[in-house]
Amino acid sequence: MEKSIDTGTMISETFQRTSLEPATPSAYSDFCHVGPDALVGIKRQQTNPPRWDGQGWQEFAAALRGCGIELRENIAARGAFATDAGGTAYGLPHGVVIARNAVQISSLLKAAQQHRVPVTVRGGGLTTEGESVAFGGVLLDMTGMSRVLHIDTDALTVRTEGGIFWHSLAEELRRFGMDYLSAPLNLTASVGGTLGVGGIDVNSPRLGCSADQALALQVVTPAGEIIECSDTQNADLFQRVILGYGQFGVITEATLKIRRYTPLRMHYFYYDSLRTAIEDMQLLNRNDASDYSGILTIMDCAVNLLVAFDSDEREAAFRANWQSHLRGYGEPGFALCMVRRYVLRPWKLPEAWYLYQRKRELFPEFRRSEYMRDGLMHDRTVVFSRAVWKFWGSKQMVIPDLATSAEKFVDAVERGNAVCRKYFPHYTLYCVGIKLRPEHKPHYEMSCIPPDAEGWAYGCEFEPMIGGQVYSRDYFQSFKNAIYDIGVDLGGSYYRFGGMMKGYIRRVFGDEVVDRHLAMKRAADPAMILNRDVIF
Amino acid sequence: MLGYFKNAFTPRRDHADCSGCSLCLLVCPVWRQSRDVSLTPPGHFKAMQHGTSAADAAASVENCTLCMACEPVCPENIDITGIILELRRQLAAPAWMHGLQARMTEMAGRKAASAPSSSTMLLPDQALHAHPDLLARVVRLLGNNGTFPVSDDSSLDISLALEAGVAIPEQHLQRFLKLLRRLKKIIVADGLLLRHLKQWLPKADIIGLGEALSGHPAVRRGLCTTDLYVIEPRAYHSDYQRLVKHYDRLRVAHGCAFNLDLQRIAIPATARNLPQRLGLTMPNDEGQTRWVLHGRNINRIVVESLEERAVLEKVSNFPVVHLAELVDDGGHAQQT
Repeated sequence: MEKSIDTGTMISETFQRTSLEPATPSAYSDFCHVGPDALVGIKRQQTNPPRWDGQGWQEFAAALRGCGIELRENIAARGAFATDAGGTAYGLPHGVVIARNAVQISSLLKAAQQHRVPVTVRGGGLTTEGESVAFGGVLLDMTGMSRVLHIDTDALTVRTEGGIFWHSLAEELRRFGMDYLSAPLNLTASVGGTLGVGGIDVNSPRLGCSADQALALQVVTPAGEIIECSDTQNADLFQRVILGYGQFGVITEATLKIRRYTPLRMHYFYYDSLRTAIEDMQLLNRNDASDYSGILTIMDCAVNLLVAFDSDEREAAFRANWQSHLRGYGEPGFALCMVRRYVLRPWKLPEAWYLYQRKRELFPEFRRSEYMRDGLMHDRTVVFSRAVWKFWGSKQMVIPDLATSAEKFVDAVERGNAVCRKYFPHYTLYCVGIKLRPEHKPHYEMSCIPPDAEGWAYGCEFEPMIGGQVYSRDYFQSFKNAIYDIGVDLGGSYYRFGGMMKGYIRRVFGDEVVDRHLAMKRAADPAMILNRDVIF
Repeated sequence: MLGYFKNAFTPRRDHADCSGCSLCLLVCPVWRQSRDVSLTPPGHFKAMQHGTSAADAAASVENCTLCMACEPVCPENIDITGIILELRRQLAAPAWMHGLQARMTEMAGRKAASAPSSSTMLLPDQALHAHPDLLARVVRLLGNNGTFPVSDDSSLDISLALEAGVAIPEQHLQRFLKLLRRLKKIIVADGLLLRHLKQWLPKADIIGLGEALSGHPAVRRGLCTTDLYVIEPRAYHSDYQRLVKHYDRLRVAHGCAFNLDLQRIAIPATARNLPQRLGLTMPNDEGQTRWVLHGRNINRIVVESLEERAVLEKVSNFPVVHLAELVDDGGHAQQT
């Protein structure tokens, strides 16, 4: 007993230290396998929605089988979907249906309405708030619909099924020398899932979010109707489904803009100040000075501004007109800057060692010879995505984010950075601009796009490096809340809106907007079965 | 070099470490054919993390083609193939497997083969054994330094046992390895055997037949820009970090297209599960073969594997040649 009291005291002291300056998380795990916040009286926060009680499941299952729909209820099929990329929300569906076509999904949704069975739609499962985890009911695995239906290299469009991964779409487009416009830097995001939430790429400052690339959709509504929609056909439905968090229908097919494939001419600029790097990135965006730009940090004093181009002409124009305006260093210049920094602060040498190790591991991954030809980077998404999973991925991923107008962005990132410093010893920030399209304003309502953004919105993801460390879910939730509170305070929004964050929706958008969307949802989905608990 | 040693000594991880990123799903031919996540590594690893047994995952274990494409893309360095093979060993073995085991036990009691007269040896696979003319051509091509095929069929039984998850009698394995330990270089046609030989004989110089032939100057001269070069996936993925550079140099030098996807993973031209590979059921992999050919602007297909040659000949209208056939009997590159 005495020993356990001593341990608790040590942990308590360790946690108190972390609120002032980050201690190493291994300090916690050396003492105890329970996250520190579980022991020092932080109020426990209930985040998982309640499991559906299963009433009417047998009748529903019989109805599906009557329609010839294969429903899998064995543990091997259900267990495959027990969690999402976040790895903090766990739940099992009663059964799994692999999506095969719109008619099948229509029958499924009609039966679900009749028997009031929740339907959770899942693409790549890259949610981090449990949005694609089924807490009972049926899980609809959209990756079963992964075919490319038609590529029009003259009109520069592709028609594809909604469950396809962006990477699989790119594989097929590349056989014809084509590429998508913008997509998440993640190989296993699905097209349908991305159109429902946004999707940002390092070319979003120029081309907008992925959802803006959709020209038309085939949607199965929550009541089971199969409807083609676009900005000119069933526009109301199109506006609600795009950036609609899966509330107003299942995207079964999408027509997207495409373009000719080009490799990238990459430039990296290094900064020791977040503010300066962001200001320079915004300068490039405002002046259309680059085709790609984004910020990725190793630490808040080691910030990388990535700038890239599709053509020699654009690169030459940047060199002639804009490069001299940037205040970042090249690699050797930044190395000297860091030497100077740590010579003057020898007590921070462990930080310098971390930086050096990180550089030694990361940089070769971005310059692998099989992806670099004649100084050009090929297949950037593969390069970045593999690096992301290799160096940032783990069984638990917590990536709260903030989206604000251009004017508020530096403030948002600096405040978010301070929160990260408080909670984790190491973390990464990923910042990118999103070019807005005025004609898509109706799409943006109650979405990741902040209501006050004009011209560009800016997003920042705050990603702690968890590795093999043990943190409690409450600790993660406290961290996320601290980030999300900044968004509320600044009047921003969030890219990863949904799931466990649904409590923030009214605080961000206000009752009038949320109630209006809730009324539309109730009209479209009377039994409220589709993606329950994500938003409403 | 430092990186090589770091990778070589990084411990392999198991299913509990799967984060569910699904990068392996993208390269999995079983997923391409079935679109069923539960039949793929992340599907059954996630299910195993939540309590399913080997028996629950039997369909997934049996359906794996062992192309090994999933291993190089796994950011967690999980020994996916090793786990699949272990699960196969745990599943109930059909009667014919007992015959294989009995044969290997019987072989183990025989006198060891005499010492090879050459410092290099070729271990052909079943398909190459079945094509003696091509085997002779390969031997002639690579035989300048005394290469010759192994004289008994120990390697074929061991390959089959590995594939099917049959335990190899230790005495039989050691008899086989004793012969190989005397060699300076071993050229292996079967990619699964290659993977295991690298583990069993870590100091030996072991390469795949595809790499050996594609490194031959006359063979390289026979390649041209309108060829689709089909890399045999198992050997390639078992030594991916090194071979991705080997084939990239080949691409730069000769301009041919490869069956590589955007992750530089070899797309298998066949997708055969265990019963199909053992000839117990009919293969149904034309969809996979068509995907390799989809949208290609080529005039000829060059293969490393005879199994893939057969299916490509069936599906495509292009001439399909084995690497060894790029060189005539006089040792000169064939004109295309």
